[in-house]
Amino acid sequence: MTPPLWLGQTWLAPKYLGALFSGLLLTAWLAFLVCLLATLLGVVLTAMTESRYLGLRSAARFFISVHRNTPLMVQVLLWYFGVPNLLPEEAMLWLNTPHTLALPLGLEPAWPSYEFLSAWISLSLYSASFIAGELASGLRAVSHGQREAARALGLRPWQELRHVILPQALAYVRQPLIGQYTGAIKNTSLTMAIGVAELSYRSRQVESETLLTFQAFAVATALYLLLILASQWFGHSQKPIWGASR
Amino acid sequence: MNPELITDNLSYFLFGAWPNGGAMGGLLLTLWMSFVACILASILGLAGGIALTMGSPGLRAALESAIAVLRGIPVIMLIFWCYFLLPVLFGLNVPGVATVIAALALINAAYLSQAVRAGLAAIGPGQWHAGLALGLTRWKTLRLVILPQGLRIMLPSFINQWVTLIKDTSLAFIVGVPELTMVSGQVNNREQVYPLQIYLFTAILYFLLCAGLSTFARQSERWWNPRHKGARHA
Repeated sequence: MTPPLWLGQTWLAPKYLGALFSGLLLTAWLAFLVCLLATLLGVVLTAMTESRYLGLRSAARFFISVHRNTPLMVQVLLWYFGVPNLLPEEAMLWLNTPHTLALPLGLEPAWPSYEFLSAWISLSLYSASFIAGELASGLRAVSHGQREAARALGLRPWQELRHVILPQALAYVRQPLIGQYTGAIKNTSLTMAIGVAELSYRSRQVESETLLTFQAFAVATALYLLLILASQWFGHSQKPIWGASR
Repeated sequence: MNPELITDNLSYFLFGAWPNGGAMGGLLLTLWMSFVACILASILGLAGGIALTMGSPGLRAALESAIAVLRGIPVIMLIFWCYFLLPVLFGLNVPGVATVIAALALINAAYLSQAVRAGLAAIGPGQWHAGLALGLTRWKTLRLVILPQGLRIMLPSFINQWVTLIKDTSLAFIVGVPELTMVSGQVNNREQVYPLQIYLFTAILYFLLCAGLSTFARQSERWWNPRHKGARHA
């Protein structure tokens, strides 16, 4: 039986499968770095929204609103095209020349391109604004009585946070955080627009070189599904880092 | 900073090449695509959510897996698929705008059908029992008892999804649709000097649109739905 015409004549050559797989690795690596930085920034933003100082609270609220109400695509382009204009010329020159960082065990990480750096920053800031929202609602989900009880027991504020509030809040935010992390994986696809050779970029490249549209997109789609299902499974299978599970 | 850069290109930002006899573009095209895709996504999402609640087990399982796949891939991949498959399915040339509208309607309908299912479930079994006890059929109970209460609960989810959809129209430039983000890129390529200014202006336009919609929605919700009265469990 001959395959239908739109399926093309052949399957993808190993070379192209390799290109798609390298795209998957870059997608996973970028998403991992984004989740790391976004979580750190999200914690800082949440602390700011809970601060007693109006200035800090309004700054955090402004940051969150601006990042949530504009498209990620525009933010990526703004960081890639716009920010180099703000930086002094020497800084851009330094960023664009490869530097080596010799680590023990003979590791020498490759110098990231400006595409990769701006993708990392813009995606992290965007995700941080959503993660901050999840963390804040996790804190709010812990009933006020718990705080009062902690205070009545004579706990200091940090003890109250460490032993009473956080263990419960973290249990509430686990599910939404996994959602945000899988969202971050999907968001990396936008960086193809600035030339980061991640999975979507590779699928388009393979498609235009081989004209095997169906095969190229099918492999890329399957790889995305695998990566996202695997990270969801990983997120749910982890034992709670801290405190009780729910 | 150079304000003339914006004022000189303002009509191009807002309407694309339309005033000069070209196709509609810029902010107007973003609005148009958002509007059509929002309506389609809402109808499909409502139908999907009702099917997830009332459908046979087979139908529900099929829908669940379709939703899982749609939610498991980036919107860009879905746009690629629509770009490739729609012409194959319909055997004719499908314009880029229709491709993007189809992709955005599909993915947002997937998210909305889960919100609709959750909204309907939040009404609680007591209301269903009451409707059935009054002699209404399942569908009449849904239409006369459950939906009027459920829609109020779902409204915030719908608005969040619409805002997401508006933002995602910016991905249309991947298939060469001249909406606001693409048009800004064209102005940026032509001018080559003030990218920061151009993209900031673009971001402000999107911000006014999305933040405006959320604020308006929150206000109207407060007016329409004071404290979700009577919409909790029976």
